[in-house]
Amino acid sequence: MITNSSIANKSKKSTLQSAKKKLSPYVYLSPTIILMTVLMLIPIVMVILYSFKDNVIMNKNPVFAGIKHYVDIIKDGTFHQAIYNTLYFTVMSVIFHFVLGLSFAMLLNTKVLKPATKSLFRVIYVLPWVFTATIIAILWRLMLNPNGIINYMLTTANIVSNKIEWLSSTQFALHALTYINIWSGYPFFMISLLAGLQGIPAELYEAATIDGANTVQSFRYVTVAKLKPIIVSMAMLDFIWTVQQFPLVWMTTGGGPIHATEMLSTYTYKLAFSSYNFSQASASAVIVLILSMCMALFYVKNQKAGD
Amino acid sequence: MKRKILGLLLSAALVATMAAGCGNGGSSVGTDSATSAPSSTEAVTLEFTQWWEPELAEGALRGIMDEFEAENAGIKVKLISGPYASTKQQVVAGAAAGTMSDVVGLDGAWVSDFVKQGAIANLTEIMKKNNYEDSQLASQIKLNNATYMIPVVNYVYPVFINKDLMDKAGITKVPVTRTEFREAAKKLTNTKNNVYGWILPLSLEAPNGIQNDVMSWAWASGVSMLKDGKPDLTNAEVKSAIEFVKSVYDDGSVAPGSFTMAEQDKVEEFTNGRVGMMVDSLAHIKTIRKSNPNLNFVVTALPAKDGYTGKRGMPYASWGIGIAENSRHQDESWKLVSFLMSEKINSKLSTTANAFPGNVSSKPDFTGTDPLFATAFDIYKAGYPANEFVGLPVAEQLMRSFDEQFQLLLDNKQNIDDTLKKAQAEWEKNF
Amino acid sequence: MSSKPFKQIITKVLIVIALLIGAVYAGFPVLWMVVCSFKPNPEIFAYPPSFISETFSFDAYKAIFMDSAKVRFFINSYLVSLLVTVLTLFVGILAAYGISRYEFKLKKPLNMLIINVQAVPPITLLIPYFSLIVALRLYNTYFALIFTYMVFTLPYAIIMMTGYFNTLPKELDESVLVNGGNSFISLWKVLVPISIPGIVSTGIYTFMQAWNEYLFALTLTKTNEMRTVPIGIQLLMGQHSYEWNQMMAMSILGCLPVLILFLFLQRYFIAGMTAGAIKS
Repeated sequence: MITNSSIANKSKKSTLQSAKKKLSPYVYLSPTIILMTVLMLIPIVMVILYSFKDNVIMNKNPVFAGIKHYVDIIKDGTFHQAIYNTLYFTVMSVIFHFVLGLSFAMLLNTKVLKPATKSLFRVIYVLPWVFTATIIAILWRLMLNPNGIINYMLTTANIVSNKIEWLSSTQFALHALTYINIWSGYPFFMISLLAGLQGIPAELYEAATIDGANTVQSFRYVTVAKLKPIIVSMAMLDFIWTVQQFPLVWMTTGGGPIHATEMLSTYTYKLAFSSYNFSQASASAVIVLILSMCMALFYVKNQKAGD
Repeated sequence: MKRKILGLLLSAALVATMAAGCGNGGSSVGTDSATSAPSSTEAVTLEFTQWWEPELAEGALRGIMDEFEAENAGIKVKLISGPYASTKQQVVAGAAAGTMSDVVGLDGAWVSDFVKQGAIANLTEIMKKNNYEDSQLASQIKLNNATYMIPVVNYVYPVFINKDLMDKAGITKVPVTRTEFREAAKKLTNTKNNVYGWILPLSLEAPNGIQNDVMSWAWASGVSMLKDGKPDLTNAEVKSAIEFVKSVYDDGSVAPGSFTMAEQDKVEEFTNGRVGMMVDSLAHIKTIRKSNPNLNFVVTALPAKDGYTGKRGMPYASWGIGIAENSRHQDESWKLVSFLMSEKINSKLSTTANAFPGNVSSKPDFTGTDPLFATAFDIYKAGYPANEFVGLPVAEQLMRSFDEQFQLLLDNKQNIDDTLKKAQAEWEKNF
Repeated sequence: MSSKPFKQIITKVLIVIALLIGAVYAGFPVLWMVVCSFKPNPEIFAYPPSFISETFSFDAYKAIFMDSAKVRFFINSYLVSLLVTVLTLFVGILAAYGISRYEFKLKKPLNMLIINVQAVPPITLLIPYFSLIVALRLYNTYFALIFTYMVFTLPYAIIMMTGYFNTLPKELDESVLVNGGNSFISLWKVLVPISIPGIVSTGIYTFMQAWNEYLFALTLTKTNEMRTVPIGIQLLMGQHSYEWNQMMAMSILGCLPVLILFLFLQRYFIAGMTAGAIKS
């Protein structure tokens, strides 16, 4: 009511100003909107359309197929396994990215070491992140090979008696792959959290100490509380990205052995570029999109609650 | 104020670069694209997409192209080289968007899919139009009685045996039958020394191990996995070949890591003397010699089932060639293809590629090359090239789905009859 | 009385030990990559593996530097990644400012859109995307890569920068407006300078994304003049054999400048302290 009357009382000049103010956010967002619409929305809409047609790409005049592809996929046992694997892979990756990222960020934020020493460690810690997925896959394949360095060290140290087929046994492959992904992804969390940690004023910790908080309490009520927005955003983004992780999985195991590391991404890829069933691949992509959207919705809701 | 001006300048500069970029893009596509309009007065530039250039000695393929350009005034060739693993994907995308190169390197396993997509041209028609005598071609990959791919050079897959390991294990005779092979593999295996008799790459990323290392056992005994062009995996002969592979695996004679192992890993294990025998491409002789000059090894034909006396099929992989359906320069493209298939050039190419020629009268020049090539050429001549996956629809997917079932079998998750039945059912979906 | 310094020493020792363990975890595989890059190919597979190669050589590095096509991959990667970083930050900061400082009708749907576009697996977008780039006449140009990477890096940049701007009090930019400036000035003159730490970490992330992207780089370019380092690495993976040592060498050479850049930009993280001080 108050706003209504205040608007009514406004002069012409301020109406103009408010119109300008209404428009300004769109001006600021226009480059983003144009880019996203042209290069992202159009292809996404095309993929959605593909998913309802039969035999796109391979057939010049595809016919409408309804929800056939969705039904086929949902009935496919391999798809269920892919969902399970993807969830395990993603959830474990996100959890450990966070745990390692935060631990390392806090270690690197310590005051007891000289800045030069910290710089050196920071560079070492960020290392796994600067390599392309192709080379990470190749490197870990070499290291986890039955005759690779990892097995050599484990057998020499008598930790295991027989060489372990890390990536080729149904028992270990998924865990090994998840481990690789954890290794290659935590620096992303670490850097953002490091920036966040350094933005926390020292007075807050001092105040907490004065209030009688112990280390655990000040960690919980100052560090975690202050970093929470960053942590939530990171976790959400990491989740979405890890669900789609393709090159690493493809080049280390190809989804095998059997279907032990079959992910939604490899499943979709095989449909598209091995079976040439682009319609079904599109349907699978749309399902991934819906899953990720649920996550995004959750995030937006959470963000709102945070405000 | 200064800041504002700076900001404005910066934005203006950005807009300008973007505009310039778009302009650039437009013009370069205009000149490069295979679909651009031909002009009779100007030189024609053919695009030739393949994965061969990085596989050959530096400048080797370019040199051959230069020869072609010298012989054919007015035609220029632009080589576009990509990684083997993604060539197929690039052709699919290129054909869908109409940017495919005029001439493309092909693998036999891709042909059927590209034909279905309408990506590659009917070479029979082009040959007829150009009055080409096709009897000089060693083989042509046909679908519905029309040729779509011509193998330029072929790589055969004999068995490589580490002679030193063989002597050490007290094996005096190169295995000729499956039983002998199994026995040899057992004897060669010495887990204490980290040595295994055989190696079996079954990676699902590149499932061609099914073609080269598994199904080849059936072909070597003259067995077919097809019947009237349809899958026939449940026949007794295929079953006996698969049973054989499984028995060697169960003996513990196969090097660990099979389920994610790729062809490249297989070769490294053999080169390092940890594997006694492998089925492998002749292309690797040079790599092995370069990596480990001291490795003493021989090549022999793939063992056949006991008592088999017929001709032995020998698995092979080709560097095939095809022409884009939407190329505006199909005749010029054909000139390039026939040039590569000509007796002299084909001999030259097969020599540098360490492969066998695709022209019947071409002979690779063995002088100065490894004596094993000559041996392998004799084995090749004595048998016949066999690769039943060539020309099959979604061939790679067939190998992959077979691979998955086969891994289940090796992992003792299902028995052999179920394995073949399920694989058969998977395959039938695609025919 | 002596317990306090003693406790401090213990803490310091514990932290150093933890840092060292972490460094082994993070660095060992990379160390192994370095070791392999100095070995001839067959020795990479030798068992037992050796740390210092008997035939230590720079051959792999030489092979890369001698090949002008490979050097070109590096130049392309830098050019593309730098432009993507600059453009993403510019466009992303504008968008983040709009979201952070204004209330408007489409805010929520736009926010959702920005987050959701990331949810589509890139691999499935490949074919429609490829056709689109060809239709826009961008195929085989730097701008095909630059715009594509911007689409993938912008959402993150916007989310991060919005979060960062949200932590800065509105009074900061309002003071500019009161003094007769406009919102554009308040953004670039006030908000951006104090947001440098956030911008740098977003920038590093953007750079890394662009630097390491493989799938689209391969599909959207076709000649060696346009290709980037990840494809150069893949080109060493032949049909029959891999140039293992060269792949390792190439990826090490590729990461060195990035690491130097990181080493240099670290001090901007420290600048975060100042930003925090302003906040409180």
